[in-house]
Formats: sequence, C-alpha cells, structure tokens
Amino acid sequence: MLKKILRIFIRDIKSTKREQIALYIVFAPILLAVAITLFAPGLNDTTVNLALLKSDEPAHIEYMQQFAKVELYDDLEALETRVNKRDDVVAIAPKGDGYEIVLQGNENEIVQTYSTMLNSLYEIGATPEDTSATIMSFGKTVPPLKTMLVNMLVSLTVMLAGMLIALSIVTEKAENTINALNVTPLSQTGFVIGKSMTGGLVSLVSIVIALFITGYSGVNWLMVILVGVTSMLLSLIIGFVQGLASSDVIEAATNVKMIFLPIAGSIVGYELLSDKWQWTMYWSPFYWAYKANDMILSKTADWPTVLLCTGMVLVLTLAVFFIARPKIRKGLS
Amino acid sequence: MISVKNLSHSYNKDETKAVNNISFEVQKGETFGFLGPSGAGKSTTQNILTGLLKLQQGEVTVGGFDLKKVHNERFNKIGVSFEQSNVYGKLTAKENLKFYAKLFDVETRDPDELIALVGLQGKEKVRAGEFSKGMKHRLTFARSMLNNPELWFLDEPTTGLDPAIAATIKDIIREQQKKGTTSFLTTHNMFIADELCDRVAFIIDGEIKLIDTPKNLKLEYGKKLIDIEYVKDDKIVKETLKTVDEHDKKRISEIVNAYDIRTMHSKEATLEEIFIEVTGRGLV
Repeated sequence: MLKKILRIFIRDIKSTKREQIALYIVFAPILLAVAITLFAPGLNDTTVNLALLKSDEPAHIEYMQQFAKVELYDDLEALETRVNKRDDVVAIAPKGDGYEIVLQGNENEIVQTYSTMLNSLYEIGATPEDTSATIMSFGKTVPPLKTMLVNMLVSLTVMLAGMLIALSIVTEKAENTINALNVTPLSQTGFVIGKSMTGGLVSLVSIVIALFITGYSGVNWLMVILVGVTSMLLSLIIGFVQGLASSDVIEAATNVKMIFLPIAGSIVGYELLSDKWQWTMYWSPFYWAYKANDMILSKTADWPTVLLCTGMVLVLTLAVFFIARPKIRKGLS
Repeated sequence: MISVKNLSHSYNKDETKAVNNISFEVQKGETFGFLGPSGAGKSTTQNILTGLLKLQQGEVTVGGFDLKKVHNERFNKIGVSFEQSNVYGKLTAKENLKFYAKLFDVETRDPDELIALVGLQGKEKVRAGEFSKGMKHRLTFARSMLNNPELWFLDEPTTGLDPAIAATIKDIIREQQKKGTTSFLTTHNMFIADELCDRVAFIIDGEIKLIDTPKNLKLEYGKKLIDIEYVKDDKIVKETLKTVDEHDKKRISEIVNAYDIRTMHSKEATLEEIFIEVTGRGLV
C-alpha cells in the first residue's frame, strides 16, 4: 500500500514539474516571500522628512539628522519648491533669532507636530539621555506588519495546496485516468492519500522555505509543522471536492477561490475585529490556524494554546470531511 | 471465469434498466463477444464486471471473486483496455507503463517490449500528450497487458485504428488466446467479433437476445445469399436474394432471363445480417 501511495506521489510530482500552472502555484509563495523580504525594511519606516538650508548651523543640521531624514537646499526658493511637491516634507529655515517652519498646508498633523517638537527640543538643547524614564522592552525585533504579511502568506500557501489538488484531479478527469487507476489493485484510499501527499508536502516545503526567506528561521518548527499539516487537511478536502466537481482548470481555480474567499475573510476578521467580536470567526478553521501562526511567528506561542487551536482546526475540518466524503467517494468511482 | 446471474442495473435507481436481468457465463480460455449497438448495455455490463460500476442487482463472480465484496487484489489478474484512451499526457509512453506496472502486486511485462508490440517503438520517450488518437489507443491497449492478465476486457479494441494497426491488434489478441487468456470483447463491429470470438452474445435494450458461436449462428440463421447486378432501363440495379427462399429463387430466375447481368456473387450471411435478423435492429 505504502509503495503504491509513493508511486502516486512521485507521478504527481513529475507531472507538476511539467505543468506551468502547477509550477506557478508551487513557486508563488516563494516569490511572495522574496517580495516581503525586499519591502520589509520600509514597513516600519515612520521617519519624518525635513528640508533644511545648506547655510543653516551645522549643529542644527546634525541634530535634525539624528531624528529625521534631512534634505539640504541652496536657498529659500529651492526649499519652498521642495515643500510644494506631493509628498510630506516640512522645511525649517532660520529666521531672525529663531526658525521658521514652512508647510504646504496639507501635511499629516503628526508630521507637523513632530517637526515642531523636534525643533523645540533642539532649541532647549534636549537629548534622549536627559529623560528620567527607564526603557522596558519585550524584545520584539520584527515589525508587526511583516509578521501579519508572512502569516497571510502561510495561509495562502495552505490554500494553494487545495488548488494544486483540484488542478491534478481536473487533469485526471480530463484524461480519464481515474478509471484506469480504478482497475488496478490501488485502493481509493491509497489514491486519495497519494494525491494529498503531493499538495500537502509541496505546500509544507513552500512554507518552510518562505519562513527562512522572510527571516523566521528561529520559530518553533514543530509548532509550524503541526499547524501547517492540520490546516492543510481542509484545503485538501476542498481541492478534492472542487476538482471532482469542475470540468476544467479555469472552473476549478474559480471554484476554489470562491470557497476560500469567506475563509480568507475570517483571517481579515482576526486582524480587524475587536476582541468582543472575535467569536464570529470561530467557525473558520483558518481563523484558528492563523491565530496559532500569529503567536508562533511572534514567538509568544505556548503548547496548550497551539494545541487548542489545532484541535479546533481538526474538529471543524472533520465536520467538513464528513459532509464532503460521499461526494469525493462518488466522484472517484 | 465469469459468471453472471440475473444482473440488472439502473443509473437512476428506478425501473428504467440499462441492463435488465441478464445471465451468461464465460469459460476459462474463451473469447466471449458482447455485441450490440450504442446504448444497448454493453459498456454498463463491462463496467460492472470491471468494478467501475457498483453491482446493484444480481450475482456476479469475476475470476473467482464475488463482486458483492471488495477485492482490489482481483485486478492483479484482470486487464482492461478502454474504448477511450486514458493515459497521462504529461508522462512519456514508457513512464506511463512503468507507473501502472508499479501498482500491481504481480510480475509485470517489460514496458519497452509492450510499446514495440503495439508498433510504438521509437516513441518510448515521447510524451503521450503529443500522440495521435490512434497512438494513445495503442498505448492504452498495451497497458492492459502489463500484468499478464488471465482475464482481459477489451472495449472496442480496434475502433479508430487504421487497417494495418487494427490487424496488428487482432494478431496480438489471437496470440493471447493461444496462451489461454480469457477475453471479454465488447464491440459493435461484427467483423472483429466474427474473427476473434468463440461465442457471442447479442445484447439490445439491456437484454441478451441470444448467445452462441458465430458458426452455429450462421448455420441456424444465415442463409446463402446472391448479390446480383443487372441493367434495367439503362440503369444498373442491385439486389441481394436468398438461395433458400422460394420467392427469391424465382426472382433470380426472372432476372437472369429478362435482363443483362453485370455481376453475380454468392456469399454467406454476415454476423451483422444475422444480428439484424434476430434483433430487428441495426448496429449503429
């Protein structure tokens, strides 16, 4: 049995390598991981842009450069031209004994206040060391937005496993090869497990690679694998059902996307809804998987919580499986 | 090798039967032809026998296995050649056969040998997706022999093939017959049935009308015929008349005496003509 399952898996991998859409599905998460890594340094960039005159006091320019991104201009006219461009740049120019702050007028209020406060602090000669406050840090070095994007990427990769299965099943249907398999000693269960291995393992490997690329190699891998495998089960079931129900690749891709839309909605719900309304998303296995992954990626996960989340994923997936099982059985016969 | 008793099947699970209370037996080493027009119930019967359709009603044993119970190991001694080719387009001819070979628990034949046997030598490394319809059909046929089947299901094995390739396929079937393979041949082509089958069953509207050897059928139902072509009013007229029928005999005499005969050939009734006579229906 195990040998036959492995044969199905190897055959599917061989076909996937020769199928452009399948290859795209396999490599999309890795490409997205590279994109996140490239743009991540800018995700937490809250720097204020200041325009100063080259003739300004060197001490003023040096002070400002510590806390803002500073651009230097030759004269007041060039300074004003810069301020009037589309982005938020605040100009600070010497005037009499003090300074004049030049604004376009439509800048973000926080940018205006920050620039003004910064100049005031320079004028009174304040430095960060002058504060009486002590610093207590939780030591989080990863921007929360990056964690959110990587978590969404993990969820997307899990969903793509279903897409890969649907694509494979549609191809088997189009080539009428399921009938040929049905007259071999391979059991239906063996066929389903073999096919699931392809979608599951390919996605799991993609998740591992994506986490390495995005810099999350220090996470608890056992937790990542546990959540990945359990959340993938639902994706695989959806892949089988939609693959068997669809007549071509386009229809299968559309159907899988339509099914995943509300599921993806539950992830958005996790991020946007207040604690009071989080319960409205409890129906979705992906909500629990996303929640678990959020903690794992933020390195705040503990085993009881992860096990609770994966337990919820399993219970909800089992419910879907019992509803979908007759359809899958009939479709494969 | 195959025993079918009171087999019925309804796709809608109602009184409309695709196959209605049919019974027959196929002996070991026999080539049994299941003949009938499209929609007669041939494929339904074969699909039940090969396990592709669930047995609803009746008692069926195939290769000693009761179809009411699930026995996947029975496929180790069964080969199925489908009417519509079904091979993996992304895999080469050889990869296709190697993949299926690994799914059996018995010794299998060399893929290269089978590929050559069906005339596809030199195409081992070509992806099946690039094959013509006929080539795919031959690969499907080759696959059905992978496990040296004791029982071989052949669904329209020569349909869509050019005469030379069809002759090759028929030769392969004859070779397997010599080796003692039991074959269940489903076709609407009476010529191939006549050439290859030890016995044939005529099925129409889900019911078997008769089962016998082609020779016996010809003796019982076939009558010597004469194809005659003659000139009447400057036009060529063709008639086929029976030599054993009194009315036809008189007609032959009339034609010979009254008209200019162009051609006149005697012939034996074909299985197709017998089928039409027995069932009252054609084979299309």
